[in-house]
Amino acid sequence: MSYREKENIVNIFSALVITSVYAWIVYQKQMSGLIDLKDDFQKWGIVFLIFAGLSIVARIIIYIIFSIINVIATREEKIPPIDERDKLIKLKATRNSHYSFSFGFFIAIIGLSIGMPTYWLFILFVLSGVVSELIDNGSQMYYYRKGV
Amino acid sequence: MAKSNITNNIRRYRFNANEMTQQQLADEVGTSRQTIVAIEKGNYSPSLELAFRIAGVFNSSIDDIFSYTSEQDNQKTQ
Repeated sequence: MSYREKENIVNIFSALVITSVYAWIVYQKQMSGLIDLKDDFQKWGIVFLIFAGLSIVARIIIYIIFSIINVIATREEKIPPIDERDKLIKLKATRNSHYSFSFGFFIAIIGLSIGMPTYWLFILFVLSGVVSELIDNGSQMYYYRKGV
Repeated sequence: MAKSNITNNIRRYRFNANEMTQQQLADEVGTSRQTIVAIEKGNYSPSLELAFRIAGVFNSSIDDIFSYTSEQDNQKTQ
């Protein structure tokens, strides 16, 4: 398995773990009445901003741990350079990711138009974000395996 | 994913160049070994610039290393 494929697996793992843990924490706060996400949309903004910050920090830590484990396991200190094939694969994966996020966005808007509660819009945004990231990394793995 | 219509003799040229490894060729042209593997297998068509760089390593022209077969040619031979 190439370095880039391993990197994608780590990204999928990070996205799932970080989002699940944070969503669970927010859900517990909502249940215990510490925050009200049903009516107070300002709280959604705060929740999203904190999530963005925590996500970046957690990813950096996970990436450092991955790099150390990879060096120990493969004894290769040199990270392969990002070449034209990597860029093309990233471009196609980003396209797929954008399509899936747009799809989620439209589903959320349709839901809003048929009378679903407004907080569902934000929940669908989060779900679309996670799914689009999984599609991004999954597409990259597919293109690395099958060719581009 | 469909196979490319571009075929190549990189493997033969590497063998003739003192059995150059894929990693050595990758280092010479500034790509990863996986990209060289993908090109040799026909899973990736390199850019014109990379094709020139690969040809340059073997002191050959692009025509010697890469060849293009169109869909029509394929159908005629079948």
